[in-house]
Amino acid sequence: MNNIQSNDRRFGYFFVAPAVIILSLVILAPIVIAIITSFYDYTLINRSLDNFIGLNNYFESITNKKFLHSTFVTITFVFFVVLFEFLIGFLIAILLNQVERFRNIYYFILLIPLLINPVVVGLIWRMFLHPQLGILNYLIGFIGIEPVNWLGDPQNAFITIIFVDIWHQVSFMIILLLAGLASIPEEPYEAARVDGANAFQQFRDITLPYMRPVIIITLLIRLIFALKTYDLIYIMTKGGPGDATDLISYYIYRSAFIGLDLGQAASMSVILLFIVCIIIYPLFKYMSRADE
Amino acid sequence: MNSKHIQLNSVTKKFQNNTVVNDVSFDIADNEFFILLGPSGCGKSTTLRMIAGLEEITSGSIIADQRDISHEDPKDRNMAFVFQNYALYPHMNVRKNLSYSLKLRKITQNKIDEKINWVTNLLKIKELLDRKPSQLSGGQRQRVALGRSLVRDPIAFLLDEPLSNLDAQLRVEMRQELISLQKKLSKTFIYVTHDQVEAMTMATRICIMNQGEILQIGPPQDVYDQPNSIFVAKFLANPINNILKSNIINKNNEIFIETLGINILNEKLIDLSEVFFSIRPENIYLESYDRDKTIKVEIMQIENHGHELLMTSKLINNNQLLYFRISKENKITLGSKVTLGFNVEDLLFFDIINERRIK
Amino acid sequence: MKTFISILLSLSFFSVNASSVTLRAVMENVPDTKFIQELLPEFTEKTGIEVEFEVMGYGEMHPKLVPSLTASKGSYDFMPVDFYWVGEFDKAGWMMSLDDMIAKDSFDTSVYFDSLMDLTGRVGDTTYMLPFYNYAMGLTVRKDLINDSTNQSNFKARYGIDLKIPTEWNEYLNQVEFFTDKDKGFYGVVNQGGKADPIAMEWSNYLFARGGSFHDQNWNGLLNSKEALEALNDYISMISNYGPLGAESFSFDEAFNVAAQGNAYSYLTYNWFLGSYNDPDQSSVVNKMALIPVPGEGGLNGSWGWSIPTSSPNPEAAWEFLKWVESPDIAKRRAEMGGAATRKDVFDDPDLNAKFDHYPGLKKLLATSKNFPVFTYTPQFVEVMGTELSKAVIGEQDASTALANMNEQLEELAAKDGKR
Repeated sequence: MNNIQSNDRRFGYFFVAPAVIILSLVILAPIVIAIITSFYDYTLINRSLDNFIGLNNYFESITNKKFLHSTFVTITFVFFVVLFEFLIGFLIAILLNQVERFRNIYYFILLIPLLINPVVVGLIWRMFLHPQLGILNYLIGFIGIEPVNWLGDPQNAFITIIFVDIWHQVSFMIILLLAGLASIPEEPYEAARVDGANAFQQFRDITLPYMRPVIIITLLIRLIFALKTYDLIYIMTKGGPGDATDLISYYIYRSAFIGLDLGQAASMSVILLFIVCIIIYPLFKYMSRADE
Repeated sequence: MNSKHIQLNSVTKKFQNNTVVNDVSFDIADNEFFILLGPSGCGKSTTLRMIAGLEEITSGSIIADQRDISHEDPKDRNMAFVFQNYALYPHMNVRKNLSYSLKLRKITQNKIDEKINWVTNLLKIKELLDRKPSQLSGGQRQRVALGRSLVRDPIAFLLDEPLSNLDAQLRVEMRQELISLQKKLSKTFIYVTHDQVEAMTMATRICIMNQGEILQIGPPQDVYDQPNSIFVAKFLANPINNILKSNIINKNNEIFIETLGINILNEKLIDLSEVFFSIRPENIYLESYDRDKTIKVEIMQIENHGHELLMTSKLINNNQLLYFRISKENKITLGSKVTLGFNVEDLLFFDIINERRIK
Repeated sequence: MKTFISILLSLSFFSVNASSVTLRAVMENVPDTKFIQELLPEFTEKTGIEVEFEVMGYGEMHPKLVPSLTASKGSYDFMPVDFYWVGEFDKAGWMMSLDDMIAKDSFDTSVYFDSLMDLTGRVGDTTYMLPFYNYAMGLTVRKDLINDSTNQSNFKARYGIDLKIPTEWNEYLNQVEFFTDKDKGFYGVVNQGGKADPIAMEWSNYLFARGGSFHDQNWNGLLNSKEALEALNDYISMISNYGPLGAESFSFDEAFNVAAQGNAYSYLTYNWFLGSYNDPDQSSVVNKMALIPVPGEGGLNGSWGWSIPTSSPNPEAAWEFLKWVESPDIAKRRAEMGGAATRKDVFDDPDLNAKFDHYPGLKKLLATSKNFPVFTYTPQFVEVMGTELSKAVIGEQDASTALANMNEQLEELAAKDGKR
């Protein structure tokens, strides 16, 4: 490497250094600290690293029925939420892509739920869903449906939080997918029309292949965020009724700040991190392969 | 032989309040190589797309094989379209690109393989079958686009400036290939271009359009020799045409053309005081001895085109410019004054107001 | 000369400012905090000490406090402590003993209700806190419906006893049944069955009303008793038969709204809700709700206590504040504004009794209130109760299993805390 190139490289490092340092401090360091903590008996009342217990916390977590239940509830929640947000979001994006007039107005209206703070979303919907005083049961009363116990019945509660999450987050999908759709050139579609493809075939043979990287990225990002859903549960159900909606983030939070056992909570977080990495890895590989 | 294979009757296209194609009518016969020629924005591509069904017609009708196809879907018209940017399916390899339309029509795999074989041999793209479009050069993509239209056995081929993205050398080659291809297939080709060299060399008839309207239709040589308007005279020129203005003085039997300083016999010019006229550069000669008339000019510019020189000169008594072509052996210098010869029959006259030719 | 004097003056000004202290504290976003904020200027004028409150919601206080408490020199000079946290703070040694300061200044702590001193005052034999405000729970009932003569004759005909302010638990259960008319959308009771705080707090009252308790002096669990089972069956029956749809997930504001909109006869809740019932902006049953002690053998106590962290930067100044805010005069004025007092002398004050006619009832309430188990894992146990009770209410497990689970986990947590 000659002088110019090595100078260039050093300059590059220099430029990137501040960002890397900050990222390390803010993201990497806490992760490392959490991992270290997970190997100790570290509680909020006795905050010292005196008690090394190795993999004990992990063992306790994996055999903890409540933790496993939360994991199961979370995976089910994430599956449905991502699936429906994707399908609905894609449908709306396709429709919106064909609109010419007033597109910006529709866009803005659809964007509003996403802009609302999740805590506020939870509070608003709690009000709407009140069985006697809320507006939802009032409205469905007009078409002769009996009042529904939205958050008090365990099955209903699970479906309800899925629904509220969709209401809140679907526009995230819409934005990303719409951007992807808008970047597809018009001409392959025209060639396909001439070749005799109907709308479905055009979608399958042109839209989907073009959209593949965007779809994967969108699903990936949404998946990671959905696994971390916390605010909605904290505001709307506190994990109940029973433990029907006890999502993993909320469970880990309670272990740390109510159960005061930071070491155990840290081990659960590490396990969650591990699960997320496993889920992402094949998608990641697929992305870099699809790039060629 | 059907002289009315494809007909356009008063076809108009409006985008909101903007009329892009205005009352266009023509008939295309079987096996014609019909070329729509005009500058950018003249409506030629829109017209082609309406024939294909990619654009809706605002009013008028399109008939093909005696069937009114004005509102039919593109796929029902059985015409093939070759796009300027090829529009290949980027996620399919060449083989899949070629067989896509056939698969949609549920043609058996055997037949598909036969057709692919035939087309790839014809266009010499057999070795490209497993490549994706991103791995092909411009010329190769163009052939695949052609191939995609060939496998379908359509009633007509519609081509939208297919050569404009290729380099000059490749363009010349492809012109020849397209001409021989059309002859071999014996199919109707409707072709759009802004390049008048392509139009002149390939067409059986050219159709000149400007601002959404048809200006002239006819075999290339006819249109070239007998342009209906100044626009056509200027547009169909390689590289340029001479259009000059002159006062006219009526002298009993003869007409005096002031700019050229000559008297001619032409009853059509009797009542006029001013006129435009054209004379092609190739019809102006350095040796004036066996020509009808002469004109004195001063040499302003010499352009060396390799095989010949294009001269820009100024009329001595007038200041208007006159272009003419001479072989490179002639040693004429800038600023020198020469006498040029021409024949009266090569003069074409155009009305001073509507710019149409006075016949 | 003039220059010399002005320099001297400005230097002295500086030094005065340098010696003036600013006390900082995290405070909850409740009316009692607002009342104190209005009186703060008087404290500053009297002592020269500035006081700055960081006001926030309940959920944010604990996470804010803990880092400051574990530091050697924290950011906060005094703090309110919820009874939930007393065990934890004591175990971690975060609270300063107030015994010496109380003795030195002869501060009279006998004015506080015994139950409140037990809850947020003393731990063992040491005084760590001065009770700040109470949130004991009581029963709110529609006295207008009780006083209605038609109701009275119908009730007597059906149950053979008079319709009056209930003092016995079974009497109350009858009234709940009597007033429920689901077709008309009126319910005998509205419960706050939501996880974890609401249901745990509310059900504790049912347990005490039936004469049950959580544990004995040796922290052996008593939740598998007959009384506990009756209490849980009562609760399940209330929600399923006499309560509105969705009560299984109500927090206290949702339940309150049902009662405040006139759709329920009774609601077991925090005593300070009475003010909200009588606020026409929030309620349509102004002056129709009476606050009474929970019928039976007493309801659930709740309170906050003032404490000085061991990491307090200015403990002496903090003690000055505590003395001031809990002085008889200031305590009375806070109560006058509507604060939930913790002192017997406030409840005996004639002026306040003239102003608030619910005071005698409230005094009796406080005197009979029972405490929730206070130890390091109180919040954790509240979570446990929340889950087990909730599952019983929605029918996922039967009542005795729920109680057995709660009992087992109570003993486990107590053992973890070294109580047994």
